Amino acid sequence: MRIETSSHLLPKVTRGKQVQVTVDGKTVAAYEGETVAAVLTANGIHTFRLTREHKHPRGLYCGMGVCYECLVRVDGVDNVRACMTAVADGMVVETCKEVEL
Amino acid sequence: MSWDYELAVIGAGPAGMEAALAASEHGVPTVMVDNRPASGGQFYMPLPATFNKASKSSVDKDGNFLRSLLDGQPVKQYKDTLVWGIFPEGEGWKVAVYGPAGPEAFNVRYLVLAAGAYDTPVPFPGWTLPGVMTAGGAQIMVKNQRVVPGKKALVSGSGPLILAVAANMISAGMRVEAVMEGARLFPRVLGHAYAAWGQWHRMAEGVEYLTTLVKAGTPYKLGWSVIEARGEERVEEVVVARMGANWKPLPGSEKTLAVDTLVIGYGMTPNTGLSRLIECRHEYDRRRGGWVPMRDETLQTSLPGVYVAGDMAGIGGAELARLEGRLSGLAVAVASGHLERGTAGELYGQMQRGLKSQRRFAGMLGALFTPGQGLFSLANDDTLVCRCEEITLGEVREAVAAGARTLTEVKMITRTGMGNCQGRMCERSVAHALVDALAAEQVDFEGIGNYKVRPPLHPLPVSVLAEAAED
Repeated sequence: MRIETSSHLLPKVTRGKQVQVTVDGKTVAAYEGETVAAVLTANGIHTFRLTREHKHPRGLYCGMGVCYECLVRVDGVDNVRACMTAVADGMVVETCKEVEL
Repeated sequence: MSWDYELAVIGAGPAGMEAALAASEHGVPTVMVDNRPASGGQFYMPLPATFNKASKSSVDKDGNFLRSLLDGQPVKQYKDTLVWGIFPEGEGWKVAVYGPAGPEAFNVRYLVLAAGAYDTPVPFPGWTLPGVMTAGGAQIMVKNQRVVPGKKALVSGSGPLILAVAANMISAGMRVEAVMEGARLFPRVLGHAYAAWGQWHRMAEGVEYLTTLVKAGTPYKLGWSVIEARGEERVEEVVVARMGANWKPLPGSEKTLAVDTLVIGYGMTPNTGLSRLIECRHEYDRRRGGWVPMRDETLQTSLPGVYVAGDMAGIGGAELARLEGRLSGLAVAVASGHLERGTAGELYGQMQRGLKSQRRFAGMLGALFTPGQGLFSLANDDTLVCRCEEITLGEVREAVAAGARTLTEVKMITRTGMGNCQGRMCERSVAHALVDALAAEQVDFEGIGNYKVRPPLHPLPVSVLAEAAED
């Protein structure tokens, strides 16, 4: 969920331009400046990939580009870190794709 | 040898920004590389450029001020760019980067490494479930992206950051069941510690965090920690326990809480990949976050011309990082002949008091909040320690039983640390497992060594590596 409230610690922000991205075949609204991880999280998607060996669900862990747990497929490119990638209009994001590096 | 730049600063957090500024202000041709879209690091991270905020905090203003100073200098700034390798090149270094424009490399005479730190990973049953995230990650999601990671959370960790994260999550409308501080501190000690923390000169903000907790009815529990997370597709509940001596959970004290989000923040680990890659000499200092590069008083490492500043050289916080960054930038200006040694001496002198007090506070925080061995014994044989290669603690223990005595040997036998994160997530827990298993042999962290770091430091498209190999 996006934060729409305003408080002293988190004053209200206006987001960037609204864009459309496709997540697992579904069109969702996103805002310029958001990361793929934020858009997935805002839409209630917490499993970003399945592990190679045991197919266990994984999601956002370090959130700052270190752990490589949040890998998704973006515009056909595998193993993209959702937490370090900004959305763009028309972007196609796929979760839970085989990850082989 | 001609250099593309005299100095490369790696990392544009508090330390890196100050280093680049100090060097450039004295005429050193400087390049700065950072993996985020804007300078600032974790501490001075600005909102996305397309976002607008009604009112700015003092941290926002400080960050903006540093960024504006940098933009006024002829510093070449690479953003959204990874440094995947640094290689000896004559008397200097070749820095290999990969960014939006593809792969690039440049030669420099001097290096200031300021790669910061990341949340210390602590394995426990269920820690790989979606919904379990680090304090740093949660902070970015809430403060920077303005998205809540869930509805109901537990925050467990140690040190001041967990209070900030919890207060932000509450302000964002989340329910925080409790904030659990693992250290067994008396409230009074904690009060003194926070009051004395020079870096937290924004004491008012600290009070606001606590007030936010109290208003929301969120208890701040000292000497408690999460010990297990459970769920199928996502965290559904967590088990917490009271901490005994040396951070060992007390049997019988367990309680279960229903949450959909678990935020973990047991302090930070210096991000030493680059200094280890080029083989600066390192030492083990538990209270400063583990393995750290050794430095002289100008922050030069064992390699002449290579300096390390900020949290990467031992956890000290943003204020210390800024001072160290400035110091290292000045040191490069002197070494490169752009600044008189005498003038620099005066500037160093002015910084000594600040450095000394910041280091004293950092030492105090390290002493109070560094987790003990017990916290790294929450995992059982079925718990993954290496998230990338899916290696369990049991497999690590088997490797030790089979004769492994160093981290490198465990890595060779089990493949821990060979995945995408290059061992950043598992090095410390495997080290604790080794030391634990070899307690009878009195093996220590220095004795078991660390993982060897090799390029590429980050996974790269094969085409990039192929191109680099041709050069």
